Amino acid sequence: MSRRDIILQAEGLSIGYGSKSQAAMIAEELSFKLEKGQLTCLLGPNGVGKSTLIKTILGQIAPLKGSIKMNGKPLLNIGYKELSKSIAVVLTEKVRLGNLTVRDLVALGRTPHTNWLGSLSKQDQLIIDRAIRLTHISYIQDKVLSELSDGQLQKAMIARALAQDGDLLILDEPTAHLDLINRFEVMQLLRNIAHEEEKAILLVTHDLDIAIDTADEFWLMQCGLPLVIGTPEDLIVNGQINLLLPSERLSFDKMTGKVLTSSDVNYPLMEGGDYLIFWMKLFLRKIHSTKVNSISKISIIDDPFSIYIEKQENHFRFETFNDFKSFLKD
Amino acid sequence: MKNSIPHRNLFLFLGLGLIILFLINLGVGSVFIPIAEIISGLFGGEFSKKSWEVIIYQYRIPKAFTAVLAGIALAVSGIQMQTFFRNPLAGPYVLGISSGAGLGVAILVLTGSMLGLSLFAGGVGGWAVVIAATIGAILVLLLMSLTAWKVKDSMTLLIVGLMFGSLAGAIVSVLAYFSDADQLKIFTVWSMGSLGGTTISQLKIFGLAVLIGLIPVLVFIKSYNAMLLGEAYAESMGVNIRQLRWAMIISTGVLAGSATAFCGPIAFIGIAVPHMARIIFKTADHGVLIPASLLLGAVVLLICDSISQLPGSAQSLPINAVTSLVGAPMVIWLILKRNFSKEF
Repeated sequence: MSRRDIILQAEGLSIGYGSKSQAAMIAEELSFKLEKGQLTCLLGPNGVGKSTLIKTILGQIAPLKGSIKMNGKPLLNIGYKELSKSIAVVLTEKVRLGNLTVRDLVALGRTPHTNWLGSLSKQDQLIIDRAIRLTHISYIQDKVLSELSDGQLQKAMIARALAQDGDLLILDEPTAHLDLINRFEVMQLLRNIAHEEEKAILLVTHDLDIAIDTADEFWLMQCGLPLVIGTPEDLIVNGQINLLLPSERLSFDKMTGKVLTSSDVNYPLMEGGDYLIFWMKLFLRKIHSTKVNSISKISIIDDPFSIYIEKQENHFRFETFNDFKSFLKD
Repeated sequence: MKNSIPHRNLFLFLGLGLIILFLINLGVGSVFIPIAEIISGLFGGEFSKKSWEVIIYQYRIPKAFTAVLAGIALAVSGIQMQTFFRNPLAGPYVLGISSGAGLGVAILVLTGSMLGLSLFAGGVGGWAVVIAATIGAILVLLLMSLTAWKVKDSMTLLIVGLMFGSLAGAIVSVLAYFSDADQLKIFTVWSMGSLGGTTISQLKIFGLAVLIGLIPVLVFIKSYNAMLLGEAYAESMGVNIRQLRWAMIISTGVLAGSATAFCGPIAFIGIAVPHMARIIFKTADHGVLIPASLLLGAVVLLICDSISQLPGSAQSLPINAVTSLVGAPMVIWLILKRNFSKEF
């Protein structure tokens, strides 16, 4: 990728609060860059400094050490007004105004570009229309914010950020509080925006599985460790993704991309399709019954679904996991 | 909830209402003067009674203009505070700004005898009162901004505002205890609130102060719109929060301070009128809401003043009583509804 497409670049960055002499360092030696057309997900446990990093990128707090540059210019030398034309944000706080329509909200995104009265030109209207179209919210553009569902509101907030027309979009947990379908829709939407509108998007999320599905790049943040950056698939294959799971009890399953609770269950011999064995293992981990130890073999058949158990020369057959569960609990 | 009546028509209607109410306000009082008589009198004709001319020019026109100016000042400071603090219950009276202004005036009036000043006579005295009230208002506003920065909860902010109000009131009581009877009488009459006490020269000062107070609002209309989404979003859209905070403090201080200086504390106009504007205009755009609050503030205070004249009787009520009777139920209704988001 050519240098021109790099929007933001940081080198040896230390972030935290306070003055240089009496600083509360939160993370150090961070080096990264954000490029046009890339969706980057920042992952890490609560309290590791994700918000501090975002505030530093937004120019709201000064870095304690190192450099951070936007389009080659030191971030701190760029004024508020100038910066607001390049970076737009979607924050976690809920905005539910009963007098503001979705279109008005999106129009507010034009604030850095309009005159003192905030009047909108033809050009502004076109950009607003486009932002509304890209986020698929035309059907609710005349609704007021207090009437929207969480998913609709989040899309409207994204449209507002798009209307601000910067090269960089930063979103703080855009999928928190959303239902499953909206999580996918919002992330897919962001991915499309990054790729088709040539925006650099950085978002903080805790939704590992959806992030794996959509992100071009992961930034993994862990206390006291340098930022690990890479393509999600690389991080999974080389096991660095486990950085997110320092606990012994959790492990990342490379096969399914799921986080699993590790357990000391000794699985009996199993036969059956891959996916059937996967769910049987999950079932056995959850049930955590000592009776499992006396089972010598489990065979699972797909059609019609049945579970055959060999236990001390006895044979049993179950038609559902639920029946099997009752058996194990007796 | 798409607006059905175009804003232009609503503004025309409000403007027309303002003129009509202004004329009615001139007509009512202990002596009723027919509106037709007033119109012909104002446009070069002769009043049929000489006394009417005196009443209109010497008393009622200054009073009506005072109502208009005070209504504008209080309503515009109210909407600024509500948006800046993101608190639908903010207003100069509830947050103790009027009390702060009152304290400023009290210090000036009650300690004035020691300095040998005669305050409520003439132009210099007028400015002195405005400046004292403005300083008092700004001081309380600074304290409130500090509090709002620490406390995000709107109810807590309100309680702190009430405390500041009580504190200012207590200091006034202490001052009153040590001051002499004449000064105390002047202050007590002032604190009852009245639109009728302004002279033409004071009116000029008032008008100028309101004009000065309106300038920062007009400059920052766009920033107030961005503030609807909260400080963090506003900042991300290039709004300089520190600048806006000072603009709000100075503007509100001058507006609420001067209104309080000339009319005494007037309750509930500042808090209730912006909500009326939101309900009527169904918008969140300050480019509409600020002029709307400005007009509505003038209209509402003219109505309140006309009611306080108790048409048909020789008595009149204190203006503060009437605005409280109108405003307090509205605020209670807002609190009971709790769902501020509908209008805010």
